[in-house]
Amino acid sequence: MARCNDNDIVWTYRNKKKMKKLLLSLPLIIIILISSFLLIYLLQKKDPNKPPSALLNENLPEINLVNLFNEEEILSNYNLKEKTILINFFASWCAPCKVEHPLFFDIKKKHPNLYLIGIDHKDIKEDALKYLNEEGNPYDYVGVDKKGSVGLDFGVFGLPETFLVNSSGKIIYKYLGPLTKKVFKNEIKPLLK
Amino acid sequence: MISLIGFGGLIFSLLCSIILIFIFFIQNKKYSETIFYYALYGSVISIIISFLALMFSYVSSDFSNYNVFQNSHSSKPLLYKITGTWGNHEGSMLLWLLIMTFYNLFFSFNKKLDDDLKKLTIFFQSSLYTCFVLFVLFTSNPFLSTSIEIKEGLGLNPILQDPALAIHPPMLYTGYVGFSLVLSLALAGLILNKIDIKWIKTTKNWTLFCWSMLTGGISLGSYWAYYELGWGGWWFWDPVENVSLMPWIAGLALVHTLMITQKEQLLKRWIVFLSILCFSLSVFGTFLVRSGILTSVHSFAADSSRGIFILILFLVITGFSFIIFIFKSTDSNKKLNLLFINKSSALIVNNIVMLVACITILLGTIYPIIIEVITNKRISVGAPYFNMTVLPILLPGFLLMSVAPALSWQSNRLPKFKNYLILFILMSILSSLITYFTHFNVWGFIGITLGLIVIGASTLSIFHNYAKYNFKQFFLRNNAFIAHIGVGIAILGVTCSSVFQTEHRRSLNIGESINIGKYSLRLEDTKILEKNNYQELLAYFSLYENDEILSKIKPSKRYYHVSKMITTEAGIYHHWLQDFYIVLGNQKDNKWDIKIYQNPLINFIWLGVMIMILSGLIGIRKK
Repeated sequence: MARCNDNDIVWTYRNKKKMKKLLLSLPLIIIILISSFLLIYLLQKKDPNKPPSALLNENLPEINLVNLFNEEEILSNYNLKEKTILINFFASWCAPCKVEHPLFFDIKKKHPNLYLIGIDHKDIKEDALKYLNEEGNPYDYVGVDKKGSVGLDFGVFGLPETFLVNSSGKIIYKYLGPLTKKVFKNEIKPLLK
Repeated sequence: MISLIGFGGLIFSLLCSIILIFIFFIQNKKYSETIFYYALYGSVISIIISFLALMFSYVSSDFSNYNVFQNSHSSKPLLYKITGTWGNHEGSMLLWLLIMTFYNLFFSFNKKLDDDLKKLTIFFQSSLYTCFVLFVLFTSNPFLSTSIEIKEGLGLNPILQDPALAIHPPMLYTGYVGFSLVLSLALAGLILNKIDIKWIKTTKNWTLFCWSMLTGGISLGSYWAYYELGWGGWWFWDPVENVSLMPWIAGLALVHTLMITQKEQLLKRWIVFLSILCFSLSVFGTFLVRSGILTSVHSFAADSSRGIFILILFLVITGFSFIIFIFKSTDSNKKLNLLFINKSSALIVNNIVMLVACITILLGTIYPIIIEVITNKRISVGAPYFNMTVLPILLPGFLLMSVAPALSWQSNRLPKFKNYLILFILMSILSSLITYFTHFNVWGFIGITLGLIVIGASTLSIFHNYAKYNFKQFFLRNNAFIAHIGVGIAILGVTCSSVFQTEHRRSLNIGESINIGKYSLRLEDTKILEKNNYQELLAYFSLYENDEILSKIKPSKRYYHVSKMITTEAGIYHHWLQDFYIVLGNQKDNKWDIKIYQNPLINFIWLGVMIMILSGLIGIRKK
C-alpha cells in the first residue's frame, strides 16, 4: 500500500513538473506561431502597395482622355486595341511621383513596344506642363484627368499608381506607390513576355 | 568623403563589439578585462562619429549621400536639417544603434552589481547591438552615395517639420531601445542564477527610466497628432500607436511588479518573463512598422527584404531568450500570500489587467494579417474594436489603483477604511451631479467617477501619511500616490475630451462671427505670408467671452514648395478648462469653411502624463 502511494506522489510530482515546463514554453510557442504567419505573409509579398483590386483581370474601363498638350486630341479605347499599355497616374503636386519618374525613361528605352500613358490626376494644367518640362516626358501620351473621374474608374487610392494592360485589353497588374526598378524587373517584366 | 567616415565608423563599431564578444570568452584576467572595456568604449565612440557624420551630411546638405538626397532639401531650416537625420528609416536606425550603445556605456559605470553579472550583461547587450548593426549594414545603410551629381534633395515630409516631432523619435527610442538593456540584464541574471535583490534594484531603475522616456515619447507623438493632423483628436488607434503602446503596457506591468516586490523578492520568474517581453514587443513593433506590413501615418519606405531580416532578428532574440527562460528559470520558495484584498492580490490583478490589455491590442493589430494569409481577404480593425475591448478591460485596474498602494501585505485590512468609503460615496455623488447638470453619457459617467475616485483616494492616502516625513522623504514615500493622481487626472482628461467634445462647422465671411455658448468667435482677417521654405495662409480669429476678448487664434495652412504639399496647422487656444481648436478649410465665394472643436479638459491629459513621467523618474531615487 505504502509503495503504491509513493509512486502516486512521484507521478503527480513529475506531471506537475511537466505541466510547468509546458507553461514556461508557451511564450516561445506563441512567438513561433505568430512569426510563421508573418513570414508567410511576407513571402507571399502581400505588401500594402498591392491591395487586392477589384479591377484586376477585368477589362480596361471606358476612357476618353484629352491630350495635355493638345486639347483637341482624344484617346479612347479604340486607339488602344492590341497594344500592351502601362498606365501611370501622376500629378505635379505628388512628391513620390517625382521619385519614380526617371524610371519610365528607362522602361521606355528598354521596351519600346510598351505604350506608356501618363494620366495627370487632379492637377492644374500649367503646373503639369511645367513639371513635364522640368522632369522630362517619358510618356507616349499624356492624358488629363482634371476632375479625377478617370482615377475613380480605375479605383485609384493615392498617387502614384501604375496599371499594366495586356494586348487583349485586360488589366493584369496594379501597383500602388512609387514604382521601383526591383518591382519592375521582378513583377512587371515577366508579365511582358 | 563624409559618408565614408560615417560608414567607417559604423564598421569599426561593429568590429569593436565583435572583439568584445570574443574577448568575453577568454579567461586570461590580466588583459581581457581591459580589452573588454576598451572595446566597449571603442564601439561607443565610433558610432558617435558615424552618427555625427550623418548629421553633418544633413546640415551641410551633402546630396551625394543618397539618404540626404531623399530626405532633405537645402532650403529647410537648420533645426529640421538636424532632425532630418532621424526623420527617415535609415537615419532612425542609426539613432537606435547610438542609443543602444549609450545604454551599454552607462550601464558599465554601475558599481553595485557583481562583476560577472555586469560583464555578462554587457556581453548580451553587445550581442544585441551586433545584430542590429548587421541589420543596418545589410538592409538600411544610411551612407549609400550617388554617383551622379545632384544639386537638390527631395525634401523632408512637411508634416514632420515640427518641433514636437523633432524630439519625439529620440525620446521614443530611448524608451524602446532601453528595454534591450533590461533584456540583457534578465538573460545575464538567469544564466548566472543571480536574480537577487541587487539585480531587482538595478533592473527597477533602468526599467523606470526607459518607461518614463517611452511615456514621454508616446505622449509627444500624440500631442503632435493633436495639433498637426487637424482632426481634433489625439489618439487614433493607428497601428503604429498600438505598436508603441504594447511595450509601454508590458513595461508598466514590469515597473509595478519590480517596485512592489523588491523587498520581498517574489514572482521572480514573472519579472524575468516581463523583462523579456518588453524588448520582444519593441522589436516586434519595429518589425511591423518597418516591414511596411502595416500602413499608417508613419510611412517608412517599405521593403520586404528588410521585413524578413527584422523578423529573423526578432525570432532569434526572443527565441533565444525564451529558451533560456525555459531551462534556467528557478522560482523562489516564497509563496504569494494571496488574500481577498491585499498587496499581492492587487498586484496579480494589476498584472492580469495589463497583460490582457496588451494581448487584446496585439490581437487587433495582427488579426488583419492573419486573416489575409488564411482567406486572402483584407479586413480592417479600427478604433471601435479597441475602444470596445481595451477600455472595459482597464476599468477594474483603475478601480483597484485608487487604494492599491495603501494596502498591506499580510492582512485584508485597509487602514482607515471608513475614510475611503466616505470618499467613494462622495465622489460618486459628485460625479452623478456633474453628469446630471451636463448631459448623460455612460462612458462619461464611468470615466469621471473613476477619475475622481482615483484622485480622491490617492490624495486621502497622502493626507494620511502627512507629517510623517520631511520634504524630501515626502515625495519619495508618496511617489506611488502622486503617480496615481496623475493617472486620475489623465482619465478625467481622456473621458471629457473624447465624450464631451463638440464640433461646429461654419462658413464665415471676414468680419462675421459665430456664437458658441457664452463664447463668440470672430474672423478678423486673412493674410498670406512668405516663409523660407513654405507659403503660409493665416487666418486671424478673436475669441470673446461675454464680449470681453480672451485671445487671438491663428489657424493656418502651409504650402511647401519643395514637396508640393499642403499642411494644416490648427489654431489652438488653451483655456485651462477647455481647448478651442480651429481648423481652416477651403474658401468658397469669399467665405471660409472652418471647423471648431471644443475639447474640454484636454490639458488634463498632458498634465497627468507629465506627473506620471516625473514620478517615474522620482521612483528611480526611491530605495
